[in-house]
Amino acid sequence: MPNKMSLQFGASAENLPIIRHFVQTHLRPILSDPVQINQITVAVEELCANSILHANKEDPEKELRLELQLKGHTLHIYLYDPAPPYDLHAYPSEPRLLRADTLRPGGFGIYLIRRLIDRIDIRRRKGGSSVYHLVKQLSP
Amino acid sequence: MQIELLPNGGKEHLHLALRGELDALTAPKLYEEVSRLVQERPGLQKITLHCRDLVYLSSAGAGILLMCMDNFAPKGITLELAEVQPEVYNILDLLGLTKLMPVSHA
Repeated sequence: MPNKMSLQFGASAENLPIIRHFVQTHLRPILSDPVQINQITVAVEELCANSILHANKEDPEKELRLELQLKGHTLHIYLYDPAPPYDLHAYPSEPRLLRADTLRPGGFGIYLIRRLIDRIDIRRRKGGSSVYHLVKQLSP
Repeated sequence: MQIELLPNGGKEHLHLALRGELDALTAPKLYEEVSRLVQERPGLQKITLHCRDLVYLSSAGAGILLMCMDNFAPKGITLELAEVQPEVYNILDLLGLTKLMPVSHA
């Protein structure tokens, strides 16, 4: 995997398979465990899905950029989102297994990101947009 | 994602094979299809989703499985997942769904 890869996409749920394919394509050459590849793919997709579906309300005109950077055995994932940030840490640390909780922001998706990723930083940028920075230690 | 109705099971037991990816795009289709089949089968008691060829599950997919379980339970219908691949099982397990419904490995 080259040290830095990026993907630009509109805020449309139609792009979720493209996002998964992008992540898997770049992780397969460096990771042998399919469960670990899937865990990172799920975490990245959940992050992007939240931005697409909730923060940007599925407006395909809104452009997001996903960036993967490999530094040694550490994977840095950046999502540049034109919408203001939401606080991933503000949601419950355990999923509430109630149907009504699973299909809205703050349900399973954010729980999965927090379980599968080692560190999450969120930054508001000039103009109100946001950058989500996820850090994952890899076990090659 | 493809959903195939399998011939085994009779009137009380519905077998469906899932193929592909269950995510925010495809999850509503699964719910619609299973709901339609449930309506067509008044005496139904059990649904088995065969997941050997289900290669991806997101939180939206897990949410729909939970919604199926919640909505069909009052009708006396239980839901089980069979032949689940390790990657998908791992996500179900992290979310606690393996404690809520029978889930067996591929």
